[in-house]
Amino acid sequence: MKKMKLPLWLKNFLLFLSILGPGLITASADNDAPGIATYSMVGSNYGYNFLWLILVITVGEVVILEMAARMGAVTGKGTADLIREKFGVKMTTFAMFCLLIANLGTTVAEFAGIASAGELFGISKYVTVPILALFMGLLILRGNYKIIEKILIALSLAALSYIATVFIIKPDWGVILHDTIRPQIQLSRDQIISMLAVIGTTITPWAIFYLQASVADKGVSMEGYKDTRIDVTFGSAWGNVISACIIIVSAATLFKAGIRVEDAKDAAMALAPLAGGASTVLFAVGLLGASLLSVSVLPLSTTYAVCEAFGFERGLNRSFRDAPIFYGSFIGIIVLSVLIVLIPGMPLFQMMILSQTLNAVLLPVILALVLKLANDRAVMGNYRNSKVTNVLAIAITFLIVFVTAVLLFEPLIELI
Amino acid sequence: MIYLSKLLDQKVWDAFGHVVGKLDDLLVDNTDQTMPPITAIGIKDGSPQPKLIDAKDIATLWPSITLNVDISKLDLFQPVGHELYLKQRALDQQIVDTEGKRLVRVNDLQIARKNNRFYLTGVDVGGTGLLRRLGLENLAKSVAKLLKKRWKTHVIPWEDVASIEHDDPLRLKVSQDRLVQMEPADIASILDDLDHHTSKALLQGFTDEQLADTLEEASAEVQQAVISALQPERAADVLEEMDPDEAADLLADMDDQVSEQLLKLMEDDDEEDVRILLRYPEDSSGGIMTTEFASVPGNFTVEQALHHLRTNEEAKDDEFMFYVYLLDQNKRLQGVISLRDLVTSPLNQQLSNWFDDDTVIVNPLTPQEEAAYLVAKYNLMAVPVIEPESNVMLGIVTVDDALDTVLPTAWKKKMPRFAGR
Repeated sequence: MKKMKLPLWLKNFLLFLSILGPGLITASADNDAPGIATYSMVGSNYGYNFLWLILVITVGEVVILEMAARMGAVTGKGTADLIREKFGVKMTTFAMFCLLIANLGTTVAEFAGIASAGELFGISKYVTVPILALFMGLLILRGNYKIIEKILIALSLAALSYIATVFIIKPDWGVILHDTIRPQIQLSRDQIISMLAVIGTTITPWAIFYLQASVADKGVSMEGYKDTRIDVTFGSAWGNVISACIIIVSAATLFKAGIRVEDAKDAAMALAPLAGGASTVLFAVGLLGASLLSVSVLPLSTTYAVCEAFGFERGLNRSFRDAPIFYGSFIGIIVLSVLIVLIPGMPLFQMMILSQTLNAVLLPVILALVLKLANDRAVMGNYRNSKVTNVLAIAITFLIVFVTAVLLFEPLIELI
Repeated sequence: MIYLSKLLDQKVWDAFGHVVGKLDDLLVDNTDQTMPPITAIGIKDGSPQPKLIDAKDIATLWPSITLNVDISKLDLFQPVGHELYLKQRALDQQIVDTEGKRLVRVNDLQIARKNNRFYLTGVDVGGTGLLRRLGLENLAKSVAKLLKKRWKTHVIPWEDVASIEHDDPLRLKVSQDRLVQMEPADIASILDDLDHHTSKALLQGFTDEQLADTLEEASAEVQQAVISALQPERAADVLEEMDPDEAADLLADMDDQVSEQLLKLMEDDDEEDVRILLRYPEDSSGGIMTTEFASVPGNFTVEQALHHLRTNEEAKDDEFMFYVYLLDQNKRLQGVISLRDLVTSPLNQQLSNWFDDDTVIVNPLTPQEEAAYLVAKYNLMAVPVIEPESNVMLGIVTVDDALDTVLPTAWKKKMPRFAGR
């Protein structure tokens, strides 16, 4: 074969790109529909005061996803497999219940994203949601959606427009730095819910399951694990750069103008400096692409995890008769999500954000199990967690538990 | 029937009613038998390691676990190393159901008593086992009664399962012996569902031929994982046993240096076969053809041809023999005779009777779809592949390989196990 002469930097860059894989995909999913909704809301309501949280979560996300990836590489098994094999039926049932609720919430949020995007184009949700749900469902069941997947990835690249917008609006970086280091937070109910939503949309239970399964499926071994670690670290960092850009843009445009995001139309205005009158279209396209992309992964990966844990027959190559629970729960998740979104008068945007709060509240359950597994000598052998990893992961778990506790007990505290 | 889940954490009593501790685990040995005997029980009594007591001390397991000796006279058990710890290593793990040909999860284990000894008899893989573990068995039974549904447990006899642990050579051997009784395609589909460490370990113990048959049916990922895990010499031996077109597909997906190394390690004629195939695109007739086909010189009589096919070494290797191809000394195709015609014709008849210029042929670059179309249109079992300039016959595209585009043999090859991969 002819060897092309490439400059060294280009060669290194291409090598770097070839490493990227599941980690990047997983972390990009931070910026799915509920993600965009949450970051827009947080930016428009609290300005730059939540940026510090993004920094903290980036560290947390890298640490937690790295654990999941490492478990996948060492054991070659899925998270649900390991939970079942280590903790037995009762704990597995509890963990799968939490996962199911969290993922159902997120799936509802994705369909709410589709509904919002449709409404920006002036199409009723009663038209867009059932049609697209049916379309995606059939596509996934046919198991061959590689082309559609590429189109969806391209559509969701619209989120990059937030980076472009940051350069156009030229925010005051001094203020941003100041607010990041010395944020003004009052632990009000709304702020706590928002904090949890930001955590829950960035570090999700399903990302842990999905990443570990992808790494295990790729057959990554510990010799090739270094690349996976780079992939995960870079992917998380990149996903959160975009998250931060969404917050900065929303803060510099909407928050400044005193607009509080209530629905997709408000959030879309943040892109006006870049796209002018077309900002609604740009926002809607991005939202739709991101939502559909997540819909193509989320219900199926949830179904796989649950069936794996309980040993139900599973896989798209099985017939409906052989794997009734697999297909039944897959269709069930989609139908239930669609029905919830179609309830008349549902506040779509609020629903997207609250689903992510729910994610965060359920996350510690999964994190505790993952931490236990990643420290188990019988499971991980010589690749157990380092002290640093444990300290960071436990810290982020406690942060979530603490914030959740404040949320739950705040009404009581106010009574006193 | 006694179930392990009902025994775990129950109190263990000695002959005089003293509590020895709580049941931690059961150990069985000779897992190759239909009903492996329980050889010891593990008891938690507060010490850091569970105490292992010889099974001969057990008086009863159900409804309560009692021993027939005094607490001070327990017979401690020394494990030799290949005992199977039921709770630790079997419960909640995945195993292969060799009858049902699928991967299942152990929800519970069934134990039976015979002649005052206890044996492991079966594996509960059904929903009722799950409900029992959750403590909902009685509730579910009442509901089933109310709905007039039969209460069905799904227990697989131990002889029909293969455990897939890979850290004990002896037990691994038992599993392999049970696995190889299945069809290669079934083994392959189970390998696809297994994690790659386990599938590698299981396949290491297969013979070259078993391994080759299984790999032919396996997905590209499993093929790659397995071949790269083998020693290069062994990998080359396995590749020789595979159909040349399958071996070529596999090598084409590998790193150039590795595939070159493996090719050099293969026997010369096998290497040559694969190299020819590697020259053509994967979805062309040349890429999917097999170079092993039955041929006889065109100047033979029927009798000579039959004799040749019976005695010739190369001819014996041909797995696919619906047609016999008539070649001249330069390996150019002169005609085709079906095996049926050959067998039913008079022995002294000349094969030149079947010479034909209009035989349906393809060239190596003909797309796979077109080969499939020809096979379907002319109701053929195989179509010869002819090099266009020299008219030399290179191989045949068989009907199953041609139809692979329409109906893939390994569904998995086209299906992601996990969405979004």
